[in-house]
Amino acid sequence: MSDVTPAIKKRKLNTSESIYLVEVLKGMAITMGHVIKNIIGELKGQSTFDTMEYPEVRKPVNDRFKGAHRLTTRPDGKYKCVACMCCSTACPAKCISIVAGEDADDPIEKFPVRFDIDMLRCIYCGFCVEACPKDAIRMDTRIYEINAFSRQDMIHTRDYMRDLMAGDKPEAEQWYRENPQHSPEGFLGEVPPVIP
Amino acid sequence: MPLVKVNGIAVEVPPGTNMIEAAKKVGVEIPHYCYHPHLSVAGNCRMCLVDVEAGGRGPDIACNMAATEGLAIRTDTPKVTQMRKSVMEFLLVNHPLDCPICDQSGECRLQDYYMEYGQHDSRLADAKMGKGKRQDIGDQIVLDAERCVQCSRCVRFSDEVTGTGELRLFNRSNQTQIGIFPGVRLSHQYQGNLADICPVGALTLKDFRFKKRVWWLKESESVCGGCATGCNILVHHQENEVYRFTPRRNDEVNKSWICDQGRLSYKDVTSLKRLTGAKVDGQRAELPEAANAAALLLKGAKVGVVFGAKATTEANWAAVKLVRARLPNARAYVIEGNDPDAFTYQDEILVDSDKTPNRFGAALTASQLGSVGDAEALKAALASGEVDALLVLHDDVVGRLGVATPKALVYVGTFKNATSSAAAVVLPAAHYIEQPGTWINRQGRVQRLRKTVAPAGDSVADYAAVDAIGRAFGGAVIPEMPAAIFQELAAGVKALNGLTLKGLGHGGQLITLFAPSPGVDQPGQAAPAK
Amino acid sequence: MSETMLTVILALVKCVFSLAFVMQIVPLLIWAERKGAAYIQDRPGPNRAHILGVRAGGLIHTLPDVFKLITKEDVVPSHVFRPLWALAPIISMSVALVTFSVVPWGDQILIPAEIAEKYLGTTGPLAVNLQVADIDGGLLYVLAMTSLGVYGIMLAGWSSNNKFSLIGGLRSAAQMVSYELAMGMGVVAMFMTYGTTRLDTIMQIQSESILNWGVLLSPPVGLVAFILFWVSAFAECNRNPFDLPEGEAELVAGYHTEYSSLRFALFFMAEYANMVVASSVTATLFFGGYNIPFVNGAMLREHIDLVLIAIGVGGGVFFLFAASIAFGRRKDPFYAAMEAFKGPRPNKLAPVGGLNGLLYRALHDDTLRQHEWKIFTAIWAGAAAAHFGLIGLGAMNIASGMPLLTEIIVFVTQLNAFVVKVLFGCWMFIWVRWTLPRFRYDQLMDLGWKYMLPIGLVNILLAAVWLLIDANTMRLYAAIP
Ligand code: SF4
Ligand code: SF4
Ligand code: SF4
Ligand code: SF4
Ligand code: FES
Repeated sequence: MSDVTPAIKKRKLNTSESIYLVEVLKGMAITMGHVIKNIIGELKGQSTFDTMEYPEVRKPVNDRFKGAHRLTTRPDGKYKCVACMCCSTACPAKCISIVAGEDADDPIEKFPVRFDIDMLRCIYCGFCVEACPKDAIRMDTRIYEINAFSRQDMIHTRDYMRDLMAGDKPEAEQWYRENPQHSPEGFLGEVPPVIP
Repeated sequence: MPLVKVNGIAVEVPPGTNMIEAAKKVGVEIPHYCYHPHLSVAGNCRMCLVDVEAGGRGPDIACNMAATEGLAIRTDTPKVTQMRKSVMEFLLVNHPLDCPICDQSGECRLQDYYMEYGQHDSRLADAKMGKGKRQDIGDQIVLDAERCVQCSRCVRFSDEVTGTGELRLFNRSNQTQIGIFPGVRLSHQYQGNLADICPVGALTLKDFRFKKRVWWLKESESVCGGCATGCNILVHHQENEVYRFTPRRNDEVNKSWICDQGRLSYKDVTSLKRLTGAKVDGQRAELPEAANAAALLLKGAKVGVVFGAKATTEANWAAVKLVRARLPNARAYVIEGNDPDAFTYQDEILVDSDKTPNRFGAALTASQLGSVGDAEALKAALASGEVDALLVLHDDVVGRLGVATPKALVYVGTFKNATSSAAAVVLPAAHYIEQPGTWINRQGRVQRLRKTVAPAGDSVADYAAVDAIGRAFGGAVIPEMPAAIFQELAAGVKALNGLTLKGLGHGGQLITLFAPSPGVDQPGQAAPAK
Repeated sequence: MSETMLTVILALVKCVFSLAFVMQIVPLLIWAERKGAAYIQDRPGPNRAHILGVRAGGLIHTLPDVFKLITKEDVVPSHVFRPLWALAPIISMSVALVTFSVVPWGDQILIPAEIAEKYLGTTGPLAVNLQVADIDGGLLYVLAMTSLGVYGIMLAGWSSNNKFSLIGGLRSAAQMVSYELAMGMGVVAMFMTYGTTRLDTIMQIQSESILNWGVLLSPPVGLVAFILFWVSAFAECNRNPFDLPEGEAELVAGYHTEYSSLRFALFFMAEYANMVVASSVTATLFFGGYNIPFVNGAMLREHIDLVLIAIGVGGGVFFLFAASIAFGRRKDPFYAAMEAFKGPRPNKLAPVGGLNGLLYRALHDDTLRQHEWKIFTAIWAGAAAAHFGLIGLGAMNIASGMPLLTEIIVFVTQLNAFVVKVLFGCWMFIWVRWTLPRFRYDQLMDLGWKYMLPIGLVNILLAAVWLLIDANTMRLYAAIP
């Protein structure tokens, strides 16, 4: 039968290999080579590493990068979201909780009274974005440093997600404002390019 | 019986059977909007068009076809597919893209049939007709005329069932829209059913609006406990929270309807009036502790047991067993009438004047102890001191009779009332949708309750609460499993002989009662049982 | 001052010195382990913790580690056998430290009569042996102590009352027993060759000539004994490739799974202390201990002015070179990135004012790091200047005038030679760890019992043959300095 895994044939060690010592020394020569190369690189000030000095140096993220969620708005400033719960239905981590409310003065009568995403549970799959029939939720912020000092703060709320890319930023994003060169594109108020 | 053929499958049905029903029998679904088994046939949506092979002529609507010998229809021809597609296209001409905000989505016929039969590439070039959105047409109902597919179910419902006739389809052709007569508001007690029968999201229930997406909800069967009719319901719940009651079809009891009072009574499940913990002399206690206190009170006292017309038959049976095993001198009472906080509405459609769901269950079981006293007898016994301790199941005895509170009053109940505040010991019973059991409605129909969500707080099934007293006396008086209790009950009560819990099925079983209840329109076969 | 008092005080001073010696090297080794591993794996390694911006190539990381281990909660699992569980890390650590007491770290210091008489109250000059305990069975003592070390691990494994730990402890015991034999065989061959087990005597023999160094004695007896000893030392220290007792893939962390905080730190440090001790014993046995090749103590004393000049020039040039490198690093792109970096993310919990605030800024203000190169240039330049100063000192020919100073310089020079050998040994440990994979258990046992033990036995035979051929082996080479 062809689906039997063929036995892996072990190569027989030759004499010098079977003493280990020679091979050990060879291996040590290789590692020492790396050490010497790297030390010389360091002394010369020409780093031989690929390591990035985060947070001072940052890798630019791809346009399709899925970062923190934001909620988009209509031209009149209201949420595009109509609390249809398609996103929370699609969410495999079940981390979106929405409470719908009725907006009496709007032909689009349904809107989210609460819209919370538990970022500790989110797996950044982007299903919520795919599921949304209203283009109300997006993950194009390119913000990947999603952290907080408490579990409670890790729950991103409706207004936080609306304000994430425009106007007054919440406390945790203060830093981006002070370091504009590091802030994601569009963070400082320009509207990010609409993906057609 | 005529033999008809649906897609070549022969089936025998009673003469005059609607072909939609006949097809359902052989597992063929014929899509429909306007047909409703409990309304007259209007035949105006055309969704049910089928090919008639024999016994008729050309394509025809199945809902208006009565089964006759030799009738043969087909639903699987390309022609039928094409017809359905075209009908869907017509229906959607003026339909808004409202699904994300529409409460119906998830249980919308339009959505379902569109996914199955729809013309998925729109050919519509003209602007849609704007119609009245979000019209407040009644206490319970919001109308969105744009979403209406002009099936006229609601019109027929108000004409035929409630007889109020507030709704009509106005204008002609493309301009047709559903509406209510000017200056009129829906005011009957069956408005919720409009939201149920509307196949789309045109009529929605105010109470449920935007509360929950229906696809999250789980449905469990139960019976409404609002009155003696015992309407069959579905409990919609998610994660132990109840979101709505909807009617469950039972042609013998409630057809497809329930009243609004019953529909909204789901709020009682989480109401602040619930008793969620046992109490001894007004102090919170653990259940076994309270049961001990109850046993101490009843032991050696001159006990009167008030059987509960709102308790399950099982709980009443447990009381019978408790008396037999531990309180041999106890007297049995059944108190007629409604609790003071019961709603007062009644009519000839569904709502009974008797607001207790299990009057017959209480009477049947109480009679097992020999003579059963009534309200007057209880009053007299309390006054004379012949009874100085009471065990009350659910009924608000104090509120109903205004009797002087005996020093030892043990109350097993779901809600706070005058009796629960007067009681020395309170044992919390689960709400009726939170526990298994049976009720016997005004027709003498034994209907089954099921545990749909977890009991609130410390509450337990009412028969378990009674049994807890038995355990405090030194041993359980009834088995633990509901099926076993019912078996015992069916063996012990003559009228119930031969019944099993499983045998009750979805629609319940009619039994022979010993006495007809006055004011009942469909009484069971009355025969004295002694 | 009475004789006894003097002996006691001297013993105490030597004890403290030897303890300090081992304990000082430990943090250095932790740093070397991290940095070495990083360089072997082509990454920068620890380079962020700093005090006022000085990162010292990652050396500072050890400090927060220490603070962390001290301040962490000492979790005592409820299921452990408390007395032995608490004892185990102490055994591990103390055995490692105690072993060092027989290792001589320098030639005798001869305190001249006038000073000794005046300040120490002796009659005549005072010779101080630079060794805590000069005992006859020094080498046996080393063997005895290392085999005691296994108790720490075994007890930890057993008393943790946990399967993984227990297996770790068992593996360790089995491994120790197997490799102790090989180690013993190696050592037996050596003291047959030396004719003594007293380390002081062994050192004196090796001082005579570089050809008397253990590893070269009675070829190939010394070399084979060295390889046996050294491989066994890896096993005794539980170091890769013999670190099966804490094989994290299969045993979580083996015997120290249940330990936290300082107790864990004790095990952690014991491992490094063991490495230091093993390296020093090896250096002493096989590599002439504190001897500088071709230059023994007597020669140093004789040419003390030349020695000073050599140190001055050598050190001066080295530090000048270091300073120039440090200065060159100002152009490092990392500093440029630092320049552009506008400051740390605001931390709501950070203290602002007062001493706490200052401390917080000193430790957490990452922008301070851009001044690091200035500080290092200054330090290295200063060191170079100090060394050039030594040349002047040498020129003044102090040797003739100040015998005690001569002694001290000789001592420091020899100690340095010793430290260099020990550190190289330790580096070997690290180097091997990041080169080789772990042995399988059967391979481990095969190697110990089937290869090393027979080789050791044959080696003893060879040593005996050499003794027969030339009873005066050592003297043969003594002619060459
Ligand atoms: S990205 Fe995925 S896991 Fe996160 S909220 Fe959206 S759907 Fe849920
Ligand atoms: S974000 Fe989109 S998918 Fe989620 S509730 Fe709002 S509209 Fe629906
Ligand atoms: S009625 Fe049905 S199809 Fe129409 S908007 Fe509502 S859910 Fe969608
Ligand atoms: S409102 Fe609903 S039930 Fe009434 S006609 Fe329209 S679709 Fe039919
Ligand atoms: S269901 Fe037959 S026409 Fe509507």
